[in-house]
Amino acid sequence: MSVPSAVKARVRALFRRRSADSELAEEIRFHIDAETAKNVRAGMPPDEARRVALAHFGGVQRVREEHRHVRRAQWVEDLAADVRFALRSLRRTPALTGAAVITLALGIGANVAIFSAVNAVVLRPLPFPDSDRLMTIGENNPEKQWHMQDAAPANMFDWRAGVADFQDVAGYFDNLNNAVLTGRGDPQVLQGTAVTGNFFSTLRVRPALGRVFTFDETFSTGTHLTVLSDAAWRDRFGADPSIVGKSIVLNGRTYQVIGVMPPGFAFPKDGIDFWRPFEYTAQDRGAVSFRRAHGIRVVARLEPGVTEAHANAELQTVVRRLQRQYPATNAVMGAGMMPLHDFLVGDTRLPLLVLLTSVGFLLLIACANVGNLLLVQAAGRHREAALRLALGARRGRLIRQALTESIVLSTIGGACGLAIGWAGTRALERLQPAGMLRVKSFGLDSHVFVFVLAISIASGIVFGIAPALWSRHRDPADTLKDGGRSGMQSGHTRRWGEALVIAEVALALVMAVGAGLLVRSFMSMRRVNPGFDPHLVWVGAVGLNRAYDTDPKMDAFMRDLQSQARELPGVTGAALAMNVPLTGASWTSDFVGFGRPAGDYGSEVQHSLVSPDYFTTMKVPLLRGRGFSGSDTPKTTPVVVINEALAQSYFKGQDPIGQRIAFDKVPTAKTTWCTIVGVVGNEHADDLATTPKIEIYESSTQNIANYMNLVVRTSRDPAAVTSSVRRLLRSMDPSLALTDVTTMDALRDASLARTRFLTLLMLMFGAIGLVLAVVGVYGVLAQVARNRTREMGIRIALGARAAQVRWLVVRQGLRLAVIGLVAGGIIALSTTRVMGNLLFGIAPNDPLTLGAVALLLAATSVIAAWIPALHASRADPSAALRAD
Amino acid sequence: MADQSDVLRGTLDLLILKTLTLAPMHGWGISSRIQQFSSGVLDVNQGSLYPALQRLEQRGWIESDWRTTENNRRAKYYTLTAAGRHAVGDETANWRLYVGAVEAILGVS
Repeated sequence: MSVPSAVKARVRALFRRRSADSELAEEIRFHIDAETAKNVRAGMPPDEARRVALAHFGGVQRVREEHRHVRRAQWVEDLAADVRFALRSLRRTPALTGAAVITLALGIGANVAIFSAVNAVVLRPLPFPDSDRLMTIGENNPEKQWHMQDAAPANMFDWRAGVADFQDVAGYFDNLNNAVLTGRGDPQVLQGTAVTGNFFSTLRVRPALGRVFTFDETFSTGTHLTVLSDAAWRDRFGADPSIVGKSIVLNGRTYQVIGVMPPGFAFPKDGIDFWRPFEYTAQDRGAVSFRRAHGIRVVARLEPGVTEAHANAELQTVVRRLQRQYPATNAVMGAGMMPLHDFLVGDTRLPLLVLLTSVGFLLLIACANVGNLLLVQAAGRHREAALRLALGARRGRLIRQALTESIVLSTIGGACGLAIGWAGTRALERLQPAGMLRVKSFGLDSHVFVFVLAISIASGIVFGIAPALWSRHRDPADTLKDGGRSGMQSGHTRRWGEALVIAEVALALVMAVGAGLLVRSFMSMRRVNPGFDPHLVWVGAVGLNRAYDTDPKMDAFMRDLQSQARELPGVTGAALAMNVPLTGASWTSDFVGFGRPAGDYGSEVQHSLVSPDYFTTMKVPLLRGRGFSGSDTPKTTPVVVINEALAQSYFKGQDPIGQRIAFDKVPTAKTTWCTIVGVVGNEHADDLATTPKIEIYESSTQNIANYMNLVVRTSRDPAAVTSSVRRLLRSMDPSLALTDVTTMDALRDASLARTRFLTLLMLMFGAIGLVLAVVGVYGVLAQVARNRTREMGIRIALGARAAQVRWLVVRQGLRLAVIGLVAGGIIALSTTRVMGNLLFGIAPNDPLTLGAVALLLAATSVIAAWIPALHASRADPSAALRAD
Repeated sequence: MADQSDVLRGTLDLLILKTLTLAPMHGWGISSRIQQFSSGVLDVNQGSLYPALQRLEQRGWIESDWRTTENNRRAKYYTLTAAGRHAVGDETANWRLYVGAVEAILGVS
């Protein structure tokens, strides 16, 4: 049987049992008919003839079963024999096997690590029942470029009431806030958030102890209720079984514990200790801010059987109605809906995709290398193969053996890769920037195992197919005749080897370009001036409790805190700020300048509250006018300081000093006008990559707050400041706690953390890919040089200089590399576009990066070619001529 | 005759191969010929032929293809391969050895 029909028969036997069965059935039919005919000819009547024929045949069913059994048994036996043979031959070439296994383990291991992250973050559904029915609704405002923004409570309640397709709609604050727990020894800081009463029921999670809130409890009832998390219940309350019904004091307020959630539930953020209802009062509900303060993340559960599109249509109807009903707040306010899971993992999708692509390329490069190794081995084994073919082995069998060997090899590589991948997963978990991948532990679950198995087998087929099919193209007689010498490097094998190397170089280039772009991005980000000097600046937050119930009390405390902090040892400056730069904490407002025409207002100005000496402490450059001073009080003219961005946009061409602004779109008679007294440089409020927005600073001695961050510039290690400030705070008021302690350097690092993490990973994979590709180039050239030893010897004998011979080999290496680089360059230009959003200060098709990486690869390829070139040039001409 | 199927299973392969040395044949033809040449002594359960044929085909000693008979019916014909031709000689020698040994034991009184 020729190979195609042998393969077809094999496939038939494996997968389409019915066809082999039906063939047998036809054979049996023929047999019985022929025997019947014979009996009829012998004189039997037709019925008896058939009966006798059947009896003579024996049990038809038994025959069919045994036939099937033989087919299956043979297949299993063959497979076992192939596997044994494969293991034996792998053992016989330990160097090749070792190299192949290591290469594969690296490639597969990297894929396992990244895939387990993808699996845990993107593929795993949210841990709620029917989580695919959970949507999130966000507000869209084209004017302010809002998209899926947190919502205002009034809008949330209207959506809930107006859309029948929503089974329920709940809301929560996405950011945890701190609350000081007192009355149980030292004050402790707990983290919690506010939710609507139906929060837990919408998510469909049940408490482990007690009960959860009802929807009515969203609104103020007089008692303060709270639900604890399992972690808090165990760590802070000693897993007290009778905690339900007990009262605890948070931020000076008494809360009754009504329930405890089961372990593992920590939504919206890991580390949450308690949930409490929003407790809206009637006054809250009547205020403009009820429809204007956008801070709630809304989650909606679709009714069973309802489509997302239909629900969205209903939602838009409600939105349009609200736009008409409340033009002051909702005129341009739209709403959008998307699955909750997508929203939560949204910003991790791109980095993970980029990583997955990178490791995918890495695996392909690894397969190419192993493929080349096996090709060389197959070329070396062709005599054996020819002999076996001549002795009657079927080509199909040989191909299957070769494939089995490569799959066995790749499975061994896969097992080692799993181990490497597991270690990689642990490393990823530990090293990931806080919360970047939203999941604390990935784990190797069944998805990952299936993935490893699949890519191991796929890799085995990919790199095994070439050497396996190689045996097809030679007539065994030819091989045996010429002693097997010239077959060593048939054009076919060489071309395959070169093609693989070219592919490797191309892929390595793409990987390296990706890594290079990220490296340059990261370096650009590092160079960004945050607008202040973050070096040796300590930050901590202090929130006052209800004992400070008047403005003068709060103001006195804050001023006192600032001046005492300045006196601490090693401190060169101290100030207060409501929002710390580089944290993304923001309070935005509208504003308008005095005397401007109607409609000439601004939106989305960063509204900050800082104390006197803030700008000098943080070393924010004062460009014009003055900063705040202690003489700015609630009784004097309200003053503000603006940043340069605002001065150059809204006040372009004018001197802003002395002008007045208000925090309103449309000023009325009651509007408070503030005078601009200074212009400062731009601070980065969000992160280093985001361009600073326009900002207006108010003085904390005029607009008094009960929660401020203390920033302290020190000449020593900022960490030492913590204990001194804690002591200071305790001496001023022991019931207050210091929270959110960090340094500006740490915040700056955190701002860079994600990019750094991604860059390091890509760099690592890119480096491995580059090394593997260069090894591949070396391997192919070494093979080429070996096979052309005779030719080189002759050339030398005919007078060629060593340098010329070397050049021959290097030229071939360069040729392969250049083709690979060109191909890789084209691929890189078209694929790196995807990375756009991850880059900072550099375009995805940056030619400098591409050029530099290409040069690097070309140079390393030349170096890789050097050793085989040297060997070739040292070929002994007499030995070459003699060898036969 | 007593149940001959056990004895014959091992030798069935040999008989099939030997039959096919003459010419390619389909399953029924092989069974007929075995019957014929053994003068009716080996009137084997004809169905057991087919698993044996499958085994021989998997071992690579015979190969099959579908042809049309003179009566215009489709039948699966089996042909001896080169490897099979070698095997006939080996298996025949083995058989003779086996028979000789059994005879020797039976001959001892």
